[in-house]
Amino acid sequence: MSEPAFVYEPQASRSFAQEVKDRSGQNLFACYQCRRCAAGCPVGDETGVTPDRLIRMILLGERDTALNNNLVWQCVSCYTCGARCPNDIQTARINETLKQMAKEKGKEPLHPKVANFHASFVESAIRWGKVNEFEFMGFYELRNTLDNVKKGDFKDIINEVLSQMKFGLPMLTKKRVHFGFMTSKGRKELKALKKKSKQKAPAKG
Amino acid sequence: MEIAYYPGCTLKSSSNLLEVQSIKVLAELDIQLKELEDWSCCGATSAGKTDDFMSIAMPARNLGIACNSPQSELVIPCSACYSRTLVSQKRLEKDPALKDEINAELDKKVDGDVKVSTILEVLMPKVESGELAEKVKKPLKGLDPACYYGCMLTRFPLDVPVPDNVENPQGMETVLKELGILKPLDWSYKTDCCGASAAMNDQQTAFTLMSRIMRDAVDRGANCFVTTCPMCQMNLDAYQDLFCKQSGICERLPVYFITELVGVAMGMSPQELQIDRHIVDAVSLLKELKLA
Repeated sequence: MSEPAFVYEPQASRSFAQEVKDRSGQNLFACYQCRRCAAGCPVGDETGVTPDRLIRMILLGERDTALNNNLVWQCVSCYTCGARCPNDIQTARINETLKQMAKEKGKEPLHPKVANFHASFVESAIRWGKVNEFEFMGFYELRNTLDNVKKGDFKDIINEVLSQMKFGLPMLTKKRVHFGFMTSKGRKELKALKKKSKQKAPAKG
Repeated sequence: MEIAYYPGCTLKSSSNLLEVQSIKVLAELDIQLKELEDWSCCGATSAGKTDDFMSIAMPARNLGIACNSPQSELVIPCSACYSRTLVSQKRLEKDPALKDEINAELDKKVDGDVKVSTILEVLMPKVESGELAEKVKKPLKGLDPACYYGCMLTRFPLDVPVPDNVENPQGMETVLKELGILKPLDWSYKTDCCGASAAMNDQQTAFTLMSRIMRDAVDRGANCFVTTCPMCQMNLDAYQDLFCKQSGICERLPVYFITELVGVAMGMSPQELQIDRHIVDAVSLLKELKLA
């Protein structure tokens, strides 16, 4: 007996789409696939997945693909899709939501450096109250290096060092690298807020 | 006149030249900036991608400080900080329950109104009153900048009132006309994205986006860029040589902040404005045009 090509489960698909809608605040059910977003998306060529297709995936309940595709991780949050959408759907917001949902589900990010960057940035901000570029970049590169060591990809470690040097050396000579350390007493409040956020967050898994 | 001022982390580190310029230029127009006491990071775009609650809560702490200061306007020169703070403010206005939840953890509560402004919004009344034109000592003859707005000044993740045209903003052009650039360049990529943090974490994507912007500016005959956003400035400046070499663009264009051009037109020296700290040489063009 042959397997059916496609199994549609209305209940399963509805709940995923509904969850994305509730968390992102974007009414993706209003999408009628006019593709103005696709025309304006600056990374659509590279990612292959354009905002309209991502919405379609979510509506069809393709949870795994929707949580881990190039658009979710390579979206630059320029908000062009939303600015041009006749139904005011901000797909960049949906991408931000999907990144968080992918993390909660314990999915390995398709572009780990993107996830490492944003996690390191926010952690650094909450740790000290202000972001110290040197400290935050240190943690970011540490995460990347650990990922690469796990994969045994030593070539990428060297590429990363070379690429940061190409950026860092001119910055250094123009005194654009700041060595002073900034803090804010407000970090106590930020930590309390983060604790509250964790309590509100949906359980992992 | 005194205005509250939120610098954000970038204006205290890699782009501290923008802080120096903003203070100098606005002082010349009789606007004093009063830095928010013990401000903290707004979370930038990273918070929105990792934690929705924190992306509203982090700027809210600074809004709370601003609400409790005597000034009625808060200027935020960094486009990312501006966008995140404005979005947080509008979100809290619409969601009193969330506001209470966040306020419960804050020493200084978000309560009351404060106008969140960009540098352009602060300059605009000075354009209208003619005060800016009065201060111009060196009209910027020969400078042909491509006004580059990027994303954060006109597009937001939720519906907020935008003080300029979304697809074809004119704020910088309006200021440039006062500085003697009578016909600012018309070009196609003024609100396109430079890739922002992708320059660090997804470099090829960012390089593709930046080379498109650069190519159009060069084709239209621009001899420099002008922007308000420290992220756009840093990307187009620090990576220009790399992405141009990769995509075969021979030209190099200085990337000025709008405050630098206002300062130069007011007769300030490049050193005073720290224009000599750009990665792509930004002083030679001014000297060539006898503006420095």
